[in-house]
Amino acid sequence: MLHGPEARLRLITVLLIAALLPILGQLVRLQILEHSQYQSEAEALVRRQYALPEAPWGVIMDRNGDLLVGNVPVYDVGAEITMITDTVMAASVLAPLLNRSEEDLLALMTPPENTQTLVWRPLTNRVPPETVQKLRDLNWPWITLSPTWERYYAEGAMACHTLGFVNAEGMGYGVQAFQLRFLRGETVARVGSVSGDTSPMPDELTVGGLTPYPGTDLRLTIDRTIQAFVEGALDQAIVEYKAAGGNILVMDPQTGEILAVASRPNYEPHRYPEYAQNGKESIFWDPAVSIAYEPGSVFKALVVAAALDSGRVDTNWSYNDLGQIEYGGVIIRNSNDGAYGQQGLQGLLDYSLNVGAATLSTHVLGADLFYKYVRAFGFGQTTGIELTGEARGIVHLPTDWDWSDSYLATNSFGQGIAVTPLQMAMSIAAIANDGVMMQPRIIAERQYADGRVIPIPPHELGQPVSAAAARTVAEMMVRSVDTVAKVAQVPGYRIAGKSGTAQIPTTGGYHPRDVVVSYVGFGPVPNAQVVILVNLDRPDVPTHMRWGIDTAAPVFQKVMARVLTLMGVPPSDLRAGP
Amino acid sequence: MSVLWQQKTHGVLRRKEKMQRLLARLLLSVVVITTVLAGVYLTVVASNVHTARRLWAMENQIANVMRTNQAFMTEIARLSSIPVLQERSVALGYRPAESIDYLYLGEP
Repeated sequence: MLHGPEARLRLITVLLIAALLPILGQLVRLQILEHSQYQSEAEALVRRQYALPEAPWGVIMDRNGDLLVGNVPVYDVGAEITMITDTVMAASVLAPLLNRSEEDLLALMTPPENTQTLVWRPLTNRVPPETVQKLRDLNWPWITLSPTWERYYAEGAMACHTLGFVNAEGMGYGVQAFQLRFLRGETVARVGSVSGDTSPMPDELTVGGLTPYPGTDLRLTIDRTIQAFVEGALDQAIVEYKAAGGNILVMDPQTGEILAVASRPNYEPHRYPEYAQNGKESIFWDPAVSIAYEPGSVFKALVVAAALDSGRVDTNWSYNDLGQIEYGGVIIRNSNDGAYGQQGLQGLLDYSLNVGAATLSTHVLGADLFYKYVRAFGFGQTTGIELTGEARGIVHLPTDWDWSDSYLATNSFGQGIAVTPLQMAMSIAAIANDGVMMQPRIIAERQYADGRVIPIPPHELGQPVSAAAARTVAEMMVRSVDTVAKVAQVPGYRIAGKSGTAQIPTTGGYHPRDVVVSYVGFGPVPNAQVVILVNLDRPDVPTHMRWGIDTAAPVFQKVMARVLTLMGVPPSDLRAGP
Repeated sequence: MSVLWQQKTHGVLRRKEKMQRLLARLLLSVVVITTVLAGVYLTVVASNVHTARRLWAMENQIANVMRTNQAFMTEIARLSSIPVLQERSVALGYRPAESIDYLYLGEP
């Protein structure tokens, strides 16, 4: 048949080519004709999003660098439930570790019938590292552990309204919600080929690093020690005077820095979901910033300052107090219905005379000038503090549809006008700071992860009254404390102050019994270092005690004495030198 | 005489063998160069893989250090929180200051 080597060689060649042809055909089919289909199938198998664990959020510190809000590393635990061999045993082991009932876990870990694919289910969230170590020791390959963070509030409920919280949807309260875009860390995620343990394939990493970028830290103006004392004093006052709530605000009048702000009722920020579930969301709003109230007689200090600044009165001005004055169809009376005869500005402040204040607003200033000063002191507008939900308050103007002439008279002693405690403290701080009004602020600086530190400078909002008018009112307020409000005196310091007792508006009028009592003051005068505002909401004490001077003033005195000590402010006689 | 014998005697085979040797040398050179290049490529790829692995491990390490750092920060904050400090100071016998006396020192 086949003769010679050449013929046999040709036969072998033909056979080899015949054997190779199907292989070549398959290569063409796989690599060319069906290339895109197989490529997409392969990519679906290995292409996943990959990232390093989530970056921590920025921490929040007080003015001295003490941590107020930090991050605790925790883990979310899940399970590839189709891989579990003994579900009952697994549930019984995991129940005490995950703090869940066996029944719950069994229900979670039982896969649907006739499941062909892998099924993953979350078992619990926020598991601490100690528990995670125990889970790792079990060496169960179907348990998945996803590192994440939990916010940690070092001082519990302290300054809760200021610090606030942010929920999973990025909504929240306080400085955290306001500064969310700075606080939130940046986690870089990428889609690419991953290996079996979901780490990226080496060539993916040539694109660039994935190190997460931590959020920006915030240093607040709050002083932790002052804040703690203020919170204790407020709690004590609320118990002593059986008040429904209250707030204390401590502020540096020269810079606008809030040194402490405490409000009641309060809450524990890390338990916010529980409050929300129980329908208590209203507790999240800070009464010092977000809820307006009628301030009462503390407003008179501003009216006197406005009258002096206008040049229409001086310290020799006087009026005849007949115990009542009629304006806009409303009769204004003094708080005790008394008539005080001939009185000047000092008497107006000392005895907190409504008639005198109404005389100033209606007969001396007039609506245009009065409300020009009201606006200049920042009422009816937000202060711009770095907190969510700041209220503007309610100021009725002559141009408003619901204006009544009587507002001009009643506003002069802080009724018929609604302000926030923050606005009130800010305006009094302007009196303490020679008429210059500083913007209240809560953030001292931002500290970026790359080491940059950006301080937030003080911001001047304006000068509602002249330095001379402010100093004159400050001295009057000091004399008022030294003569009729000695309960607010701090030994060794010249303290200026003014009390207030405001009725609470209800539908169609004012509550016959309930009041908000307050005391606001600053010291030491001159060159005041601190302004303190104390508000107590609806104190339940005998009627004769239901005045700012009897309830809020002692709290003010206690807080002022301690704050001056904590701030290292020497007594007034030492400040003046020997 | 066969054709093969005629080719041998007339030097045809020698020319063919020369050509084949040249071709073989060429092929060998190509194989050697390709092998060297492939070797270099594999070395670079291996190095790249190794570096990438190290990079990933280091990035993981950074993330873990961040977590440890935060854990320490919160632990320090817990230990130096006001309730804990108050508890410790009371245990040590401290009491809140009742009054502060300032001593004025005149400059000499």
